[in-house]
Order: sequence, then structure tokens, then C-alpha cells
Amino acid sequence: MENFFELLWQPFRDFWAGLVGFIPNFLAMLIIIAAGFFVAWVVKAVLSKAFSALSFDAWCDRAGLTAMARKANVWSKPSDIMLKVVYWFLAVVFAMIGLTALRLQAIDSLTMQFFTYLPRAFSALLILIIGYVITGFVSRAVLIAAVNAGYRYAKLLAEAVRMLLIVLILAMALEQLQVAPGIVVAAFSIIFGGIVISLAIAFGAGGIEAARKVIEKSSEEKKESDRDIEHL
Amino acid sequence: MLPCARRGRKTDKMAEQPEKADIIVGIPSYNNADTIGHVVRAVDAGLTKYFPGKKAVIVNSDGGSSDGTPEAVRSATVDHDTFLISHPAYPVNRISMPYNGIPGKGSAFRAIFQKAVDMQAEACCVVDSDLRSITPEWIELLLTPVAKKGFDFVAPFYSRHKFDGTITNSIVYPMTRALYGKRIRQPIGGEFAFSGALAEFYLKQDVWNTQVARFGIDIWMTTEAVANSFKVCQTFLGAKIHDPKDPASSLSDMLVQVVTTLFDLTEKHSGAWMGVKGSADVPTFGFRYHVGLEPVKVNVEKMLDVFRIGVKELSGIWTDVLGPGDFKEVESISAVPGASFRFPSGLWTRVIYDYATAYYRKKMSSEHLIKSLVPLYLGRTASFVMEVEDKDHDGAEAEIEKLCLEFEDKKSYLINNWR
Repeated sequence: MENFFELLWQPFRDFWAGLVGFIPNFLAMLIIIAAGFFVAWVVKAVLSKAFSALSFDAWCDRAGLTAMARKANVWSKPSDIMLKVVYWFLAVVFAMIGLTALRLQAIDSLTMQFFTYLPRAFSALLILIIGYVITGFVSRAVLIAAVNAGYRYAKLLAEAVRMLLIVLILAMALEQLQVAPGIVVAAFSIIFGGIVISLAIAFGAGGIEAARKVIEKSSEEKKESDRDIEHL
Repeated sequence: MLPCARRGRKTDKMAEQPEKADIIVGIPSYNNADTIGHVVRAVDAGLTKYFPGKKAVIVNSDGGSSDGTPEAVRSATVDHDTFLISHPAYPVNRISMPYNGIPGKGSAFRAIFQKAVDMQAEACCVVDSDLRSITPEWIELLLTPVAKKGFDFVAPFYSRHKFDGTITNSIVYPMTRALYGKRIRQPIGGEFAFSGALAEFYLKQDVWNTQVARFGIDIWMTTEAVANSFKVCQTFLGAKIHDPKDPASSLSDMLVQVVTTLFDLTEKHSGAWMGVKGSADVPTFGFRYHVGLEPVKVNVEKMLDVFRIGVKELSGIWTDVLGPGDFKEVESISAVPGASFRFPSGLWTRVIYDYATAYYRKKMSSEHLIKSLVPLYLGRTASFVMEVEDKDHDGAEAEIEKLCLEFEDKKSYLINNWR
């Protein structure tokens, strides 16, 4: 009979022992997360003062970053965006560290995955940001060069270049994030290769006459320009 | 016996380099073997005839020519008997040397400035190596104001076809004149004379990795001389005839190099030009006359075509730079057909001032900004060509004068936007 009562009590004792063992871990997690928010808040306050002293917003305006954000429909000040990014990045990192204090295997492995994935996510973000800037720069250069060369569909050409670059950059970012890498590479190769082959066929076969006219026009212009005015 | 006479008066010229020289004449070159011989002969004759008592050196600063340009410099011979009564005191030495740095006219000039400083020259001048119309008198006209009249900088003044020099006539001359108040008619002429002190000043500036190293050198030299209160003048040289420019140097590249330098200097010297009102003539030497020049072919339709494409395709950039009001005006003139098309001087002035302000405020990459000016420039050039088509040289000059006055009148517009 005693054994029976023992059997009945044992789960409660185990639960209690587990609870007693878990509560300090839980408290440690809460403290780490709270400390994380506090550290994030302090860093945000310090950065805010530093940004203001360095005229970070004015620098972003001059560097064209504000205009870039506006194009992406982001209307906050660049310094506010940066502060929010830093704040939430620190908060999330501390939260993940806090979760490991629970010493639960499932959460530990999730946290491990989070930290090993972090560099990839960071690289992908960097690829997207740099890619966005390069895409804008290159498509504008194509637009201006095409207009100056007298091409009527300069905007269309610039947009086509922009689209191609966006496809390339998205493929690079997804590949970095290891999101179905095989599919991404295959899809990119098919799309990019398809565009190039279409252009080659359109210009090489369907557009022989048009190509001849373009080449003839450019050689005529070259001959004419020899007798043209001196701009300098 | 004088050294020259000892050598039988047909000067063999790559003698040992002297340590000091009174006068240095620089000739930048790159694959100019066909023309540089004539330039060297004219310079040599000019130095021997007009500065016989001075130690002079011709410095050829070459950009790595593969057509034998340095050999052409060495082998160019001058028969002094044909134009001299007495023999000069010193022979004219020649140095042909490669320059370092970014390939371009500016880097070639830098090597010449260095030589002038090293040799403690009092007076220097530079002439292009592709000139066909240079005569010995050019050397006298360029160097005399520095060597004998105490000027620091001499700009050239040429007789040019009314359609030529459109970047000068529509942007560089009106803007430089309005900003600094000096009427230097050819601020980017190509031939200049300067004192040894000014050569030293140029050499000390940290600009040799910018557009100054290329075509920007001409406007940079002129502006620095004016903005830093050096004594400036200009000298009339007659017609400038030279080989056609390298077709590889495209209009937009030239415009970027010249206008970028002009706007950089506008930013650098804002303290110097803000208070300047109106403009005044600078002393002009030489006997002024107008010469008949080869007819020039202008493809107005093509220029207008590029301008109209620009209005359609670059509307975003132009609205951003010019503002909606001026862009609307540009849009409305683009609808005017053929021969009645005109780009008003007032609008053109605001366009240039808006571009200068946008450059100063770094609204976008400087290269993109200036290249987006090309269609507007072509529109203005087409308008000018049609406007002066039936006018003579003086009539065309009167139109340029009107534009200059517009730049001066609207200077407050630039100042207000700048602040």
C-alpha cells in the first residue's frame, strides 16, 4: 500500500523538483531579456546622441540614402530607422540568449540554429542593400547614356537592366539564405539565360534589318562627326 | 663664339638639360608626330627671335606616344638664318619626357609646372601639340605680358568660327565672367602663359587625381588665377586651327570633365564670388582682327532629337534638378517644331545655376548629374546655331554678350539657392 502511495506522490514530487529547478532558469531568462531591453535602450540613447552630433540624417541626404528609402516607401528619418534596427537586433539577440537559460533541448537547438543563421541573414541583408544601391546607379547610368546616344526607348532599356539586376540580386540573397538553393539557381539560370537567348534571337534573326540600320546609322554618324562643331 | 653659332645655327636640340631657365615652353602630347614638329619649330623660332637674351627650354610632356612623337620633337630643325639678323645668346634646349599619373592633359601640365619650378623659370607658357596655325609670334604674344609686363596669367583669345567652342560660349565663359567679374573670353582656350610663381602655386594644389588631370585643367588654371587675385590678362592670337579632336573623347566626357571642374571651383571659391557684382574687361594684348574660317557643319536636327528624347525620358531627373516650374518650361519649348525652336537665355541661365546648386548639394552622383545636362546643352546649342545662322561674327558675339549679361543679372538666383 505504501508503495502505491509512493507511486502516486512520485510524479508530484518530480514535478515540484522540476518546477523548483526550472523557476531559477525562468527568472534568469526574464532577467536576461529585461537586461537585453535595457542594454538596447541605452545603446539606442547613446547612438541617438551620436547620430545627432554627427548630423547623420544630413549625411544620408547627401549620400542619397534618404531618397533611396523614400523610393521604397519608407518615410521615417534614416537615424530613426537605424536606431530601431539596432534596438530590435539587440533585443532579439538577448531574448535568444535568455531562452537558452531555460536549458530546454528544443529551445537550445533553436537558439543554436538562430545564431548560426545570423551571419547568413546579415550577408543576405547586405547583398540586398548594396544591390539596391548598385541597381539604381546602373539603371540611371544606362538611362542617361542611352538618352545621350539618342535612343528613343532609353527608359525601357534602363528598366530592363534594373529588372535583370533585381533578379540577379534576389537570387544571390536567396542563395545566401539557403532557401531552396537548387531551385533558386536553376530558376535564375533559366530566366537569365532565357532573356539573353531571346535578345540574341530577336536581334540576330528577327531584327537583322533593324541591326543593319543601327550599325549603318552609327557609322554614318561617325563620318559626319569628323566635320562637326568643336564643343570645347 | 656663341654656342648656337658653334653648332652651325641649325639647332640640334636635345643638348644636356640646363639646371636653370628663364623661360619654359611646355608642349603636352600624345601621338602627335604629324603636327608636333611644326609646333616645336614655331616655338623655337619665337623664343630665338623674341627672347634672344633669355635661357629657354622647350619641355615636351608626353603621354606614352607610340607614333614617334618624342623623336619628332628631337628632330624638328629650324633654320635661323631665314629670319634672324643676329644670333641668339643661348640655344633653345629641348626636353622630351613622359609624365606620370592619370593619362590626360592636366597630368602633362603638372610635369611642366614641376619642370618650371625645378628650373626656377620666370615665365612659362603651354601650347597644344596639334596646332597647325601656331606662328613664332604666338610665343611673343603669350610670354611678353609675363616676361616684360608683370602679369601672372595670360589667357588666349582666338578668332573662332561662330559655331565653335559652344561649351565655352554657353557655359564656361558666361559663368566664369558672372562669378568672378573678369571678362576672359576663352577661359578654356588651351594655350596659356603664366609666371614661375603661379606655376609653383598650381603645383602645390592637391587636385591631380580629379578631372583637373584631364580636360578640366584649362578652366582650373584660369579660375585659380582669377580667384586667387593673380594679375591676369588675355592676348589675341588670331585663328586657332588644329587637328580634329580624338573621336574617342565624346561630348559627354568632355562636358563632365570641364563642368565638374567648373562646379568644383564654384564650390571651393564661393567666398570669392558671392560678393562680386557685374564684370570688367581684362587687359588685352595683340592686334585684334577677324579671319575667314572653314565652314562648320552642324546637325541641328540630331541635337534637337537628343534634346526631345531627354525631355521625355529624363523628366524625373530634370524635375528634381530644375524644379517643376522650369521643367515645365523646358517641356513646352521642346514641343516647338524645327526652325522656330528657341531655348531662351533666361531659362538656360537658370538651368546652369540649378545644376551648379544640385552639384553643390550632391543631389546625385556628379557624373550622372553632368551627363544628364548633355541633352539640355544640345538643345541650347541647336537654338544658338539657328539664332545666329544668318548673322556675322559680330552678330554671334552680340548674342553671347546677351547671354553673359543674363548670367550676371541672375547671379542673385544662384546666391539665393546656394545659401
